[in-house]
Amino acid sequence: MRDQEQMKQEPTEHEPTAGVTAPVIIVGAGHSGVAVAAGLRARGWEGGILLLEAEKETPYERPPLSKELLKEGAPDESAVLRKEKFYEDKRIDRFRGITAESIDRKGATVLLSDGSRHAYHRLVIATGSRARPLTVPGAELAGVQSLRTRDDALELKRLLVRGARVAIIGAGYIGLEVAAAAAAKGCEVTVLEFQDRVMSRVTSEPVSRHFERLHEQHGVRFIFGAAVTAIEGDERAECVVTADGTAVRADVVLAGIGVLPNQELAAEAGLECRDGILVDGDGRTSDPAIYATGDVTRFTSPIDGASQRLECIQNAQAQADRVAAHITGQHAAVPEIPWFWTVQHGVRLQTAGVRHPEDDVIVRGVPADGRFSVVYLRAGRLAAVDTIAGLTDFRPARKLIAQGARIDPTLAADPGIPLTDAIPTDANPTDPNPADADPVTARI
Amino acid sequence: MSNNKLTVIDRQGSTHDLEWEPDQTLMEALRDNDLPVLASCGGTASCATCHVFVEKEVFDTLGERSEDELELLVEAEGHRECGSRLSCQLEFSRHLNGATVTLAPEE
Repeated sequence: MRDQEQMKQEPTEHEPTAGVTAPVIIVGAGHSGVAVAAGLRARGWEGGILLLEAEKETPYERPPLSKELLKEGAPDESAVLRKEKFYEDKRIDRFRGITAESIDRKGATVLLSDGSRHAYHRLVIATGSRARPLTVPGAELAGVQSLRTRDDALELKRLLVRGARVAIIGAGYIGLEVAAAAAAKGCEVTVLEFQDRVMSRVTSEPVSRHFERLHEQHGVRFIFGAAVTAIEGDERAECVVTADGTAVRADVVLAGIGVLPNQELAAEAGLECRDGILVDGDGRTSDPAIYATGDVTRFTSPIDGASQRLECIQNAQAQADRVAAHITGQHAAVPEIPWFWTVQHGVRLQTAGVRHPEDDVIVRGVPADGRFSVVYLRAGRLAAVDTIAGLTDFRPARKLIAQGARIDPTLAADPGIPLTDAIPTDANPTDPNPADADPVTARI
Repeated sequence: MSNNKLTVIDRQGSTHDLEWEPDQTLMEALRDNDLPVLASCGGTASCATCHVFVEKEVFDTLGERSEDELELLVEAEGHRECGSRLSCQLEFSRHLNGATVTLAPEE
């Protein structure tokens, strides 16, 4: 694999930063784009940095948009990623409300939405992802929402009033976080999900069932196996209809059916894309002068070799740092074990590692107690962990996943035994993985 | 409110003097001053990459740690019963004016 080969190369002092006149241009000011800008300065980049911000407000945190911001009485502001003064102090030039239209790779210039053209030393595409649009008839009706930006969140917040009937399409993180916020505000909430359980893409059945019960205790109703075929209504959405003829009355419809990578800029410039811009371990695209980072990328996992797109803050930050390191010719940190979190009805689900559906599932503790973990083993080695309402197992798990540690399923099922002690007596937990002659060590 | 002055000892043992502005958490002040604080969760007590040690006398004035913070810290490298904090959970406080904060080891 090309990606893997490059991961193993020692970084060299390949990119002298002296004598460079054109700036590094960063397209997109989400978590990853801003982190590249900050990372370049922290790593001593002296040249220009131009940050293109599609939205006009100061770049902000996104996780609160589906959590804190929707709460009753919560302020409309979402925390900013960095203060205004930070950008001034760090000499980061910001173009607000400006996007990139096209790239001239030969001339190393980028054409902006205001018609200006700018030369780049290196270009970093951090355009993120957008909500996958509903495509059924009626999807354009007023009251049909998605949630991606702060404006989306504020509009949703305005619509979630006591007694409102809220239909949520898709029981993923976003759908369920909004379901929890809506229920807390006294809305009548129905979640329609095509699969037979919540969060089926990211977690196992015991965790799904636990969160279903939690939502049901708060008055949320689920309809599984629901294939939505239309939204009905005159001007506003009034009803969600499914393939089997079920009709759910709704004043507000939220589509939380995943995201699409904003890869068009790269694809039109001829960069390799496949449901995400393809990048190597240093964030380089198929053009060595162009990098991509964050939600918009697809890359080979240095942990398990899987081709993946990771939609999470941790990846946005870690990848940004690798890009900043590579542009400045420095060593990057070893790859991190990815992790994710969601909070629903005040209960935190935090995951380390990326679970595969075929992994062995070991429940650690009693879900009915409200607090437990689920351990995922692949060929006897720890691959991922979900922690529910407690973080005791989280850090040890990340270490053990990074080590490729063998885990004894019986010991791991006992929450009284620390995970670090749940190793088979006949094995050294840090034995090299025989499936991988050259294991990549990873940082937690 | 005026800024707090802070002394930070990094992981190599070097000392940095910095100013902490009232609208920042300690993590934000460290990060904006280019100290190597990863803060991979953006300040939500989820990851413990902003773990710092504060002096005991200061620690005692800071109030209780939340359950999440405590569970992350107990498993962290070099955890100190009376000294470990997640800097993202420390709001600006007069008690920390002139304090010395040490970055905990990376794992």
